[in-house]
Amino acid sequence: MIKKDHEQFYSGLLKNDQVGKPDAAIEDRLMYSFMLKSGASKPRQNSFASFFGWLFSVQSLGLKTGLLSVILFFSVMNNQIGIESGSVTATDSLFTKRVLVADSTSVIQNIDSIRPDSLN
Amino acid sequence: MIFGKRNREATDNELMQQIVAGDQTAFGQLYHRYKDRMYYYFYRMLGNSPELANDFLQELFMKLIEKPESFNPKFSFPTWFYSVANNMCKNEYRRREIRREYRTAEALESKIDYINDSSVGQEQLIVKVFATLDQLGEEPRSAFLLRYREGFSVKDIAEILELPEGTVKSRLFYARKVLAEKLNYLKDEVEF
Repeated sequence: MIKKDHEQFYSGLLKNDQVGKPDAAIEDRLMYSFMLKSGASKPRQNSFASFFGWLFSVQSLGLKTGLLSVILFFSVMNNQIGIESGSVTATDSLFTKRVLVADSTSVIQNIDSIRPDSLN
Repeated sequence: MIFGKRNREATDNELMQQIVAGDQTAFGQLYHRYKDRMYYYFYRMLGNSPELANDFLQELFMKLIEKPESFNPKFSFPTWFYSVANNMCKNEYRRREIRREYRTAEALESKIDYINDSSVGQEQLIVKVFATLDQLGEEPRSAFLLRYREGFSVKDIAEILELPEGTVKSRLFYARKVLAEKLNYLKDEVEF
């Protein structure tokens, strides 16, 4: 008969020893304490580190290119349809307003008026 | 994998870094990783009391919440955590004023029943083993638990208990010697 050595014997004995589980309410109390401590010590903040990590990595290039295209498209279109776009002050008292309309025709309005600030 | 989240399980040290940064999820993970182990340690170190084990478990993790930065990430987390737990037990012994002189095996003979009944069950055996360890004192009991329940090396146990390695070895030897006498009926099955 092969004898167990004391390491095997005591390890087996203690590792099979069951003494029950800790009280489940402890976890709730600890979590609440952690939340209070985090809230008291500093303003709640989110970390953007992982987002920037993803943004500047090579993964999901298609998704990033698509997002960039959409952003670029809307920023360009937003400028194009602006009411004040093309407004150029030509002289001291003359405004030249170039209005771009959807069919790409340029309408140039010359407004001959005295600028209010020139009266002073 | 979006936003760089990894599926790999975080190490204890990584979780501690996240806890220092205020990450509650990391704290939850660490709690689940250690709650049963620490509960067992306190239970067996503090006289097999579930109430005390629960109180000490909560206090241990409260310490971690209050001062997570006291952990030095250059060291092993389990070693540090068990040393905090062991210091709590030491303080409890001091508080109760039950520090005892280490008794010799001879002195214990009259107080501990020999286990001569070979039909003794596993549960009874455990009870007798811990009854013996309880009478040996805090250090042999702690060293015994850390070695055979947790599987720490003698070097780690020395760090946890803040004792020289030689002292840890002698505490373990002493505990084994006394237990071997008490478990004499198993001498044909176990090489003590």
